[in-house]
Amino acid sequence: MNTIDVTAAEDIELRILATRARRNVLRMLDAGGSGHLGGAYSCIDIVTALYARVLRHDPANPGWTGRDRFLLSAGHKALAQYAVLALFDYFPAEVLDTYGAFGTVLPGHPDMKKLPGVEANTGALGHGTAIAAGMAMAARTSVESWRTFVLLGDGELAEGSNWEAFAMAAHHRLGNLTAIIDVNGLQISGEAEQIMGMEPIAEKMRAFGWVVQEIDGHDYRQILDALGRARVDTSAPTAIVAHTVKGEGLGRLAGTVGSHYWTPSREELGEAFIELDRRLVSLGRERVA
Amino acid sequence: MTGRDPRKAFGAAVHRVARENDDVVAISVDSGLSSGLGGMKDEFPERYIEVGIMEQAATGLAAGLATAGRIPVLCAIAPFVTARNFEMFRNDVGYMRQNVKIVGRNAGLSYSPLGPTHHSLEDCALARLIPGIAVITPADCGEIEDAVAAMIAHEGPVYLRLGAGTVPDLYETGSFRWGRGRTLSRGDDLTVISSGHITAEVIDAVLALQKQGIDVEHLALSMVEPLDHDLVVEAARRTRRVVTVEEHYVRGGLGGAVAELLAERCPVPLQVMGAPHRFISSGPYRDVIEGCGLDAQSIADRAAEFVRATAPVTTHG
Repeated sequence: MNTIDVTAAEDIELRILATRARRNVLRMLDAGGSGHLGGAYSCIDIVTALYARVLRHDPANPGWTGRDRFLLSAGHKALAQYAVLALFDYFPAEVLDTYGAFGTVLPGHPDMKKLPGVEANTGALGHGTAIAAGMAMAARTSVESWRTFVLLGDGELAEGSNWEAFAMAAHHRLGNLTAIIDVNGLQISGEAEQIMGMEPIAEKMRAFGWVVQEIDGHDYRQILDALGRARVDTSAPTAIVAHTVKGEGLGRLAGTVGSHYWTPSREELGEAFIELDRRLVSLGRERVA
Repeated sequence: MTGRDPRKAFGAAVHRVARENDDVVAISVDSGLSSGLGGMKDEFPERYIEVGIMEQAATGLAAGLATAGRIPVLCAIAPFVTARNFEMFRNDVGYMRQNVKIVGRNAGLSYSPLGPTHHSLEDCALARLIPGIAVITPADCGEIEDAVAAMIAHEGPVYLRLGAGTVPDLYETGSFRWGRGRTLSRGDDLTVISSGHITAEVIDAVLALQKQGIDVEHLALSMVEPLDHDLVVEAARRTRRVVTVEEHYVRGGLGGAVAELLAERCPVPLQVMGAPHRFISSGPYRDVIEGCGLDAQSIADRAAEFVRATAPVTTHG
């Protein structure tokens, strides 16, 4: 077993980091006026944990060939990755204020040729896992051996190309590949299960030959335990089915379909900043205590 | 004229470059052996990746491998690696600018008995629509061998279009030049431009036209993207009329590319010959080609009529 322990103090640090990341997302919305907040907030605890504790990466050398790869198949969750990359100094925080502007390096969907740290140009759903499988396959025959992590949404699972890629990764025994499925249960038109039922997701992934773990995607002990177990090189790829809340982190948006693409008024945005800032103060007190 | 099978020439050429370049990997969608890649599979099984009949994931896989320096060659029946997977071709290979080589074999009407699902009459148009994709359309097996070496040497995404059956040898091996066309005959009355495996048929049509006293400039383009602009424009300026011939729909392929170029730089009468823009009935290859007016005699007849129709009005006084 190769799990990653999380002490109480580390848990607070991770929650502070993720709250700062959520604040970075608001900063981008402040600049651009709107964005895919809901899915970014449902996965942002996982993305934070990956960069803080799991990925072998070097912000000063983002093209390091031995780096672990992390890519979004659900490319519309790019705000989460941008927010975390900024925290880890992949680019100056001021760049967040270019979100929404013509020619920004932070487009609505990620572009690997524009922003160091981005591994693939996703946004059209159902592409990421096959690309990730290629990266994982290349790692097996490279001198430097990296791991590949791909994050999908649950609504995205209706795209058949995912299931091609799931079959392929299992058939080729890509034990160095981990897919994290952000199951927030909501998509643009409503409840995922009402629009196109893909449950039981975990059972389907097992049937496709993946090692499957189910976790609460906002609980750092569970997130890091699962990512730690995935690190054990097995002969099968690992799927982490993460149950999450869309828009998690802002009281009035959490669990709402409306958070999917949020166009806040100035007042709503101001209130959201206040809510996160209060959260940071309270976490700071927990840290001291 | 001697002839060879394009698939065998292609497969052997990939096998040869794989011996020299460890980064070359073949991806098979249950298609590698019928693409002539059996030799590659036998000698380099670890660089022959079989994924079964899944062209979408295969294209993404290729892009992922390329991000780590591999040079994937994905070859299958043309519609399945251009139309079926178009968004993966566009985004994962094109937009991500990955060094992936997509190879559509049995392009055009070479699977004529199998009907429109297996005809590939829009693959050139689809590939040409994606920014940054080089499109190579070899006319014979020697040119295929050259094209394979050139596409591996070229750093960037490529679409290579192959015919099938027995293709006559036309050119000296080693004479392919990236982005450059060939002048097969010189003339002042009419420019005929062809690309791909139908060029052999066009050579016969040009001979028939010359027998009628029509002085034909025949250009054979080895690539549709980048198109050899200077060669085409120079000939069009001189002959003042142009015919294009391809085993592809009359929309969006070689004819479309030439039309776009000439409209801008040298507007002259242009006749685009290819498959009519409808789903083509299945049947024996020669019958289907004749049905589309793409046999040498039909090409010559239509071109001669085009020359008459576009002849300058002469006044007798």
